[in-house]
Amino acid sequence: MLRAVAGVALLATAAACSRPASSADAPAIRLITPAAETAYVEVTGLSSVTLDALDDARLTADDWAGVLRVAVSDDGPAVLGAYRVRDGGLRFVPAFPFDPGRIYTVRFDPSRVPGSSSTASAAVVTADVSRPGLDMTPSTRVAQVYPSGNEVPENLLRMYIEFSAPMGRRSGIEYLRLLDDRGREVEAPFLPLDYEFWSPDRRRFTVFFDPGRVKDGILPNQQMGRPLEAGRTYTLVLAREWRDGEGRPLVEEYRHTMRVGAARTQGLDPTSWRVAAPRAGSREPLVVTFPASLDRGLLMRALAVREADVDVAGDVRIEAGETRWVFTPGQPWHAGRYRLVALSILEDPAGNQVGRAFEVDNFDTVDKGPDAQTVAIPFVVRDTSTE
Amino acid sequence: MMRSLSVKTLFLIALLVSASITSSSARAVAVTGQGPTLTSVGPLAFGPDGILFAADNQAAALYALDLGSQATGGAPGAKALEGIDQKLAALLGTAANEIAITDLVVHPQTRNAYLSVMRGQGTNAAPALFRVDGAGKIDMVSLQAVKFQKVELPNAPVANAGARRNPRSESITDIAFANGKLWAAGLSNEEFASKLRAVPYPFNTVDNGTSVEIYHGNHRALETRSPVYAFVPTTINGQPHLIAGYLCTPLVKFAIDSLKPGDKVRGTTVAELGNMNRPLDMILYKKDGKDFLLMSNNSRGVMKISAAEIATAAPITTPVETPTGGVGYQAVASMQGIEQLDLLDAQNSIVIARTNGAVNLQVVPLP
Repeated sequence: MLRAVAGVALLATAAACSRPASSADAPAIRLITPAAETAYVEVTGLSSVTLDALDDARLTADDWAGVLRVAVSDDGPAVLGAYRVRDGGLRFVPAFPFDPGRIYTVRFDPSRVPGSSSTASAAVVTADVSRPGLDMTPSTRVAQVYPSGNEVPENLLRMYIEFSAPMGRRSGIEYLRLLDDRGREVEAPFLPLDYEFWSPDRRRFTVFFDPGRVKDGILPNQQMGRPLEAGRTYTLVLAREWRDGEGRPLVEEYRHTMRVGAARTQGLDPTSWRVAAPRAGSREPLVVTFPASLDRGLLMRALAVREADVDVAGDVRIEAGETRWVFTPGQPWHAGRYRLVALSILEDPAGNQVGRAFEVDNFDTVDKGPDAQTVAIPFVVRDTSTE
Repeated sequence: MMRSLSVKTLFLIALLVSASITSSSARAVAVTGQGPTLTSVGPLAFGPDGILFAADNQAAALYALDLGSQATGGAPGAKALEGIDQKLAALLGTAANEIAITDLVVHPQTRNAYLSVMRGQGTNAAPALFRVDGAGKIDMVSLQAVKFQKVELPNAPVANAGARRNPRSESITDIAFANGKLWAAGLSNEEFASKLRAVPYPFNTVDNGTSVEIYHGNHRALETRSPVYAFVPTTINGQPHLIAGYLCTPLVKFAIDSLKPGDKVRGTTVAELGNMNRPLDMILYKKDGKDFLLMSNNSRGVMKISAAEIATAAPITTPVETPTGGVGYQAVASMQGIEQLDLLDAQNSIVIARTNGAVNLQVVPLP
């Protein structure tokens, strides 16, 4: 009985070479791409005896790959995945989804099915399968570079590059060049770091200038000088080849030109901030103006408004080249006393913190985690209708 | 020269400094379960009993993984494999340029090598963990069967606890197990600061971290803000210590007892190993009766340093005017293109080396 069935299988298998793959009674290899599930490879046209044998088999991964091998190359190991008999076919579900556009070579060897005779089912079926390639038309752009003002300090420590869509995991440093006003590339201006500096959504990349070169008078600074010189103009060039989260290049190269001003070497002085208090009963924004730009990333989280000891909920905008913090409350202001609270980790683009310059020798703790110290600036919201 | 702050600023700060305890200060509590869902996998470390610790940087979390039977059954040791990136990529169904090998560690008992890998570079990038045994067999570790503990890193300081999630992230640059605790060095994409955290194992909570201050001889300043990139536990004069390699590249030792949450700690800088450089990995080993530190770097190759000299070196507390200073090192010319490094056995290291475009798992005799 087994021989007879094997004979049928032999006929069907041999016929597979000359008959269309869609034939219902010959082994055929297909890539199935369900709408909401991982795409998988399926071998159909197998006899019920073959399917039963496969279903009952307890095979090692290597044995399974002998029966049905899915691979990216002929000489490398088979792709890892799970094999199962389901709905009249043998399925291979890869451990990780097949890459769009990549060709996978599939090889079904009936002679390796448990219980098949070595002479019976020799005809191997092979096929190349592939998911449709992604649309590689570029669509991601650089949305903004910070500091966004026209002028940056000579001892600039950090810049942020924001993108219109999530980017790939790779570091961006290899796609960045800094050109001086004669078009010459500045040598090694940035820290040689890897991919750590993406935001969790990979839409923002932080570029750190090498602090060894930025800090005045220290050895790398003495040897190489600061990457930026006051009085000159520089252009940050972001190569189009920087890949987004779908592997596509950027729409276009991006150039960000900045004029370089004097180094900023003083700690931030909150008493120099101008706080324009809103009117009671309104949802007018509280506007805080700084004498010079501050770091955008830290501005977004290191300032808050409190009434008594309760945070006031609202939305924050950063304006005017990061020299203005604009806070619109969710509810109208009450008449009375409020406080603008700044964590001491707030910095300017040169790394100067509240009350503490980047270059100062000091014995303070940089960061005590959530228990960061704060500076508070009181302001009063007045009820102008009664004045 | 120290620049003075304005008197009014000091006055303001003196008056108004307070501890800001927001809801973000709530300490993370460990989660226990089976079949962890890592979103990414970076630095690895083994505990002495074979628990594998892994950092998930995308989720800002640390995992303790009990590999169970998946840690056994392989041939002891780890065999060199040429084109390891090609092999791993083929197993993962992709191309070698689509994967990143993020760490390499050796199991303390079986001496099998474990590799953490990220498959894909884009939004669908996924983590994978592999074991290479002494016969060169590569097995993927199935996380479904793995029992785990997970603890998330405390949130970053925020002034307004109700603010929506911000784009700050914190990456773990290295982890190591010592004295019953998992130590993790962290790096932020906003504050340019260093953070060492200790998490007692079994996990319960994770502390807010210890800021670590060093004297950076090349930077002529107390340097609290340079990130730690690699470190290794050791014992110096009978006391547990960490030896840490910083960016650009001071080598610093700390007494573990001094590292307490929220504290400021001053490490002892014992060497300056050159700028524009980042340490990658460190191991300690013994050769001819002497102890050595082997340290790989991204731009200055592999350095062999006497552990005895680290133990006894005079601290660097004055500016180093030369490119390097303090404890000296021997450049290991036989080890080139080293991207990952661990101790395989008493005679050998195991490395991921990139040479002439090939990425190989190599067994290299200890220098």
